[in-house]
Amino acid sequence: MPAREGTYGLLAEFETPGDLVRAARQARQDGWRRMDCYTPYPVEEAAEAIGFHRNKVPLVTLIGGLMGGAAMFLLEVWITVLAYPLNIAGRPMYSWPAFIVPAYEWTILFAGLSAAFGMLALNGLPALYHPLFNAPNFRDGATTDKFFLCLEALDPKFDRAQTRAYLEAFKPTSVVEVDY
Amino acid sequence: MAHDTNPASHAKQLPADLAAPAFVDAWKTRALVAGTVFAAIAVILGFLGQSQDGLGWDHLLRAWTLGTLWTWGLAVGGLALLMVQYCSGGKWGLLLRRPLEALSRTLPVIFVYWLVIAIFMNRLYLWAQYTTASDTATALKNGVISEIQAHCLNFKRPMLNPAAFVWVGLLCFAIWFFYTWRLNSLALTREADRPGNTPYWIKKFENISGPGILIYSITMTACAIYWVMSMDVTWFSSVYGLLFLVGQGYLVLAFSIIVAISLSKAEPFKTILRQTEQHDLGKLAFAFVMLNIYLNFGQFLIIWSGNLPGEINWYLDRIRGNWGVIITLDFLFHWVIPFSMLLSRDLKRNKKRLLRVCQWMVFARAFDMFWLIEPNFKDAARNLHFSWGILEYIAVPAALFSFWLAYFCICLGRRPLVQVNDPHLQEILEPEHVNA
Repeated sequence: MPAREGTYGLLAEFETPGDLVRAARQARQDGWRRMDCYTPYPVEEAAEAIGFHRNKVPLVTLIGGLMGGAAMFLLEVWITVLAYPLNIAGRPMYSWPAFIVPAYEWTILFAGLSAAFGMLALNGLPALYHPLFNAPNFRDGATTDKFFLCLEALDPKFDRAQTRAYLEAFKPTSVVEVDY
Repeated sequence: MAHDTNPASHAKQLPADLAAPAFVDAWKTRALVAGTVFAAIAVILGFLGQSQDGLGWDHLLRAWTLGTLWTWGLAVGGLALLMVQYCSGGKWGLLLRRPLEALSRTLPVIFVYWLVIAIFMNRLYLWAQYTTASDTATALKNGVISEIQAHCLNFKRPMLNPAAFVWVGLLCFAIWFFYTWRLNSLALTREADRPGNTPYWIKKFENISGPGILIYSITMTACAIYWVMSMDVTWFSSVYGLLFLVGQGYLVLAFSIIVAISLSKAEPFKTILRQTEQHDLGKLAFAFVMLNIYLNFGQFLIIWSGNLPGEINWYLDRIRGNWGVIITLDFLFHWVIPFSMLLSRDLKRNKKRLLRVCQWMVFARAFDMFWLIEPNFKDAARNLHFSWGILEYIAVPAALFSFWLAYFCICLGRRPLVQVNDPHLQEILEPEHVNA
């Protein structure tokens, strides 16, 4: 992909999550779609305000967990029944109660890893560069105590002057233009 | 964090009338009717069973024990969860506080149920039949009990004897009554106090509840051992008390969710039951579903690995002779179904479906105890068979549960359903997620 140039979007900074959510909700109602909220901690209302949609992380986790459990159980069956059968206290070769604990651990392990890596992959992480970090107030505040709404230039409604006026109507602390 | 500049835009108001809605009274009436019907069925089944195999009244008593344990789990489990939420804090605690208090105040009913067990204990417990070494020796000579049973009866007699059963039971009930009275009466005093004293009250309730949880788990373990585990004198398991503790958590959470969701059809729960807390409670119930199977399977795995003649019989009594069907169903009912249902986030946030799953969990707990109780007896061990008496396991617990439920509805109606003098109240009235 060729390097993008020009304006990435307009970034409004808010002091409280309530202000951010109200602005985001209004913007979505007014037809904005290419936008995002940035908060120092999860604000689910903000996600809902900009049209939160389901993601596939739960499904990835479920499949990962099932695969992990099945893999370990089959591994144990293969070892004890086929590859290296041992008589342990006269029990049947296929002694499933003994296989449950490792299979369970692998279910947890693979579900956890699938959740973490699935989330990263679906998020597009790791990202080495993001234009918003060009804004000094974003760098300082986004992970501390400030709440941001970014209307992106890719949205067909975007117009540098009009959008700035639109954002300023929400009375944010500041509106800054962010370049790629 | 800075405060919302415009909170009025979406804050909720607590309704003026915090009393229990009128339909709680209707529940009571319905429960009484159901209880009477089931009690009548239980008596009929008792006569039928008695004429069939002479065990009708014995089955009635065994089923009575199940019903007592089931409702006891709700009453003292409610008391325990009440103490837990005072120590842990959290908005779910404020939401459930009044229902949990009502659960704890149903203890008198359980005491009455328990008296019946105490009176008829020699029909339920081997150790209550053979109270001296000479009785035991005679029974062994006549072939009524096995050698290992005779040995265990003699060895465990200092603990397992009728006087100890009664005294331990009375002591435990006295302790639970004390905590119930203390927490319930102080809650009213706190409500009447000014808001400025809240930090004092939070500390006060913590100081009562913290040791209370410890004492509760000890007394609860003692009673679980006396009332259920000692039905088979030969067997022991160090995880038994914990199994009941977790089982009560499982039961009480499911029941509290049912109460909260059913109450939310009207004020004040309509206002205060938010999706966030409902979701949290669902997650907590899910954790107990997992912990429950973990302990149950852990106990099984250890005994299965050991495969010792003194221990394995307890499981063989409960697996062989068609009991395998019951344990498989128990595994499905008790774990597979609630686990796979509660795994879903959408289900936990959906009132109707969560309600169904929780009702199922309350039933599953009783089903689990059927598997725990009935194979203790000679006529049923390794031999699950149909008799009229076995149907008592449906009729008697249903009757005891219904009568208990009627009393619970009375307790629930006696107080306003929301505690007002609590800092969590503001949070619970806020719109969802803003402070997530």
